Amino acid sequence: MQDTITSLINPADQRGKYLETEELEKLRRYFQSGETRVKAASAISNNAANIIRESVANSLLYGDITCPGGNMYPTRRYAACIRDLTLFLRYATYAMLAADPSILDERVLDGLKETYNSLGVPIQPTVQAIQAMKEVTTRLVGAEAGGEIGMYFDHICNGLS
Amino acid sequence: MSIVAQVIAQSDDANRFLSNTELDKLQDFFRTGEQRLKVAQILTQNEQKIVEEGSRRFWQVVPNTPSNSGDPKKTALCQRDQSWYLRLISYAVLAGNMKPLEDIGVDGMREMYTSLGVPVGNIGNCMRCLKEVASNMMSSEEAAIAKPYFDYLIRAMY
Repeated sequence: MQDTITSLINPADQRGKYLETEELEKLRRYFQSGETRVKAASAISNNAANIIRESVANSLLYGDITCPGGNMYPTRRYAACIRDLTLFLRYATYAMLAADPSILDERVLDGLKETYNSLGVPIQPTVQAIQAMKEVTTRLVGAEAGGEIGMYFDHICNGLS
Repeated sequence: MSIVAQVIAQSDDANRFLSNTELDKLQDFFRTGEQRLKVAQILTQNEQKIVEEGSRRFWQVVPNTPSNSGDPKKTALCQRDQSWYLRLISYAVLAGNMKPLEDIGVDGMREMYTSLGVPVGNIGNCMRCLKEVASNMMSSEEAAIAKPYFDYLIRAMY
């Protein structure tokens, strides 16, 4: 996987060059935002179960999807849904720490849409739940870090749509 | 691979969020960010000087070595490698991790120098001289940040 630092170092090494001034500036901004990212990641990991519970309550729980005939019924499918949401939350947190979406492309989105389609998992409610997760997470970590991780939730939604 | 990518990969292998210990490690890394940038800049801007002065010291310590044999091609090759290692150290300092050094400059290094007829221990001595010269250009805090990366190379060359 790639992160902001490796994405600058690897091409520099291919050229046999030190990092240029603007690349160092990019790293400087990343280092400076590091503390915010780490704090947000810590808040998210300590509250992951709550984030999932609240996000589902805000998006899917009270709709038809949890009733007989819906895609979150029976309990086995409910469990699969919250397992996947937890996965999205975890990977969005990784991407926020790395300040790079490539881990999402490589380890989450590659083949996901096709898998969901073949399993009959509806995309639209999934996106709705991820958007709810974005709001709940932003409330928890504040606007700055929320905007940052929000990009990666959106990236997952875009990859599914 | 950076320290950030490394702890993420580690957590992902275990299917979990980052642990507090890992997050603390990243926090410490980000807090030294400004100094790491400074170290990289010092190495970038003074590469030539470090290599020249480092070579002089190296030849004093180890006079009998291919780069000091009077063959200008051998000298040029040795100094080219010195500047390459300084560049790799600048990467590793910025990445907070030995991985770039290991992947680019240590895996296979012994075999390469052996096949070139260059005593690996001499290169290690040469790196030690580069470290001294570079450290003298840094504040004690900056030198302390660069030290483990030089030492990693020096150890790999014995």
